[in-house]
Amino acid sequence: MTDPESPEPAQEAGSADAVNLFSGEFARCPQPVYRDLVSRCPVAHSVLGDGKVISRYEDVIWALRNPQIFSSEMELQLALGTERPMIPQQVDPPAQTRYRKVLDPRFSKKRMREIEPDIRRHANALIDAFADTGQCDFARDFAVPLPCTAFLSLMGLPHEELPRFLRMKDGIIRPQELVEEEVPDFAAMQALRVQTGKDIYAYFRDVIEDRRRAPGDDMISYLLETEVDGARLTDEDILDVSFLLILAGLDTVTATLECNIAYLAGHPAQRERLVADPALIPSAVEELMRWETPVTAVPRLVKEKVTLHGVDIEAGEMVSLLIGAANLDDEEFGNADAVEFDRARNRHLAFGGGAHRCLGSHLARLELQVAMEVWHERVPSYAIAPGAVPVFSPGIREIRSLPLVWANA
Amino acid sequence: MKLRVLADRCTGHGRCYDLAPELFDEDEDGHCRLLVPVVSGDLEAKARVAAQNCPEEAIVVSD
Repeated sequence: MTDPESPEPAQEAGSADAVNLFSGEFARCPQPVYRDLVSRCPVAHSVLGDGKVISRYEDVIWALRNPQIFSSEMELQLALGTERPMIPQQVDPPAQTRYRKVLDPRFSKKRMREIEPDIRRHANALIDAFADTGQCDFARDFAVPLPCTAFLSLMGLPHEELPRFLRMKDGIIRPQELVEEEVPDFAAMQALRVQTGKDIYAYFRDVIEDRRRAPGDDMISYLLETEVDGARLTDEDILDVSFLLILAGLDTVTATLECNIAYLAGHPAQRERLVADPALIPSAVEELMRWETPVTAVPRLVKEKVTLHGVDIEAGEMVSLLIGAANLDDEEFGNADAVEFDRARNRHLAFGGGAHRCLGSHLARLELQVAMEVWHERVPSYAIAPGAVPVFSPGIREIRSLPLVWANA
Repeated sequence: MKLRVLADRCTGHGRCYDLAPELFDEDEDGHCRLLVPVVSGDLEAKARVAAQNCPEEAIVVSD
């Protein structure tokens, strides 16, 4: 029997010194594992054999700020179906700096504010479709279409392309769910990734040709026209940016909305606070990003040997920077284990940090704030449908189906 | 109170101009542009909030 005063961490998620970041139980409820790692084992092993896991805030931010040691140039190690590194995510400074000079102005907060009315209108239109029925699948009916449609607008692509784009991002990010075998093996998953990668390149090669003939106000036209340091991007550069935008732009806000609503459905007092005081929503969005950290970890390739808390990490090893754990570190956050919507100091790392800080963070914040505002105006009280058990996918914590019910006024 | 922004640390999280738009703005790249290098009164609290919420510790406050 275990002593009830000292609960053991969930076994499926691994013990303190060997952790499975890809278990379903960890994806559902990672916080106890994070707390255990931060306090007892700041450098853990991955049970999957894919390197060490770094958990403390000060170590994670140090690694993020030192790409010359903790490199993002790991296209081969990650094997995500790409034929070249994704730009700018898998390129380090100084080359990466040039690409960010092109992309950052296009994703600035000022620029994103221009699309706020569209996002608000679309959020309302999505809710119109089911508000009177008193139920929806929050994932299928809201969290998936809202950010994905905003993404298609920014890219200047027709909204009817949504199913194709969802297949493309899932084929890369979670091929295990698309492979039509009961127990998908690694080879089958990898084959699907490679095929999906080819489809992505082919699709965007056509888009580039279209935009070259008939430029518009969209992302691809902008990338074709913009010069940095006197040179334009090549077509391959633009393909490598597009590949990243699909992976990063179609999944993360969806997952965050799902995590947020699942949390609020399970914590009615917190939900009621937001409904009563919508001015809290921006800081609540930050706090839920800290608490839920939907993108649990970011990988890095170690370029020179480092010793951290007595553990040697050799050049050539992969590490996972566990940003979800860093976000629950008591050394950085007072009362880190509590969800406080009015937290005054919140330097969470849900968007990463350093040179590779999430390019789309201003778009994500806008979408999240508008979505949370509109949703709670329209559907102030809701619960997870009786009998439904949300299943979180590992890595990026999506909930594929989140049935909600509410009583109509 | 004096404010300083370490431009080589800023990576454009934008927390400063979100939380204290009276003191900070964004440049074309979305990086921090300091508007008011010397602050007093109620703005001192805002300056501290901005500094405490910068993930890159790029804002230096001194009395």
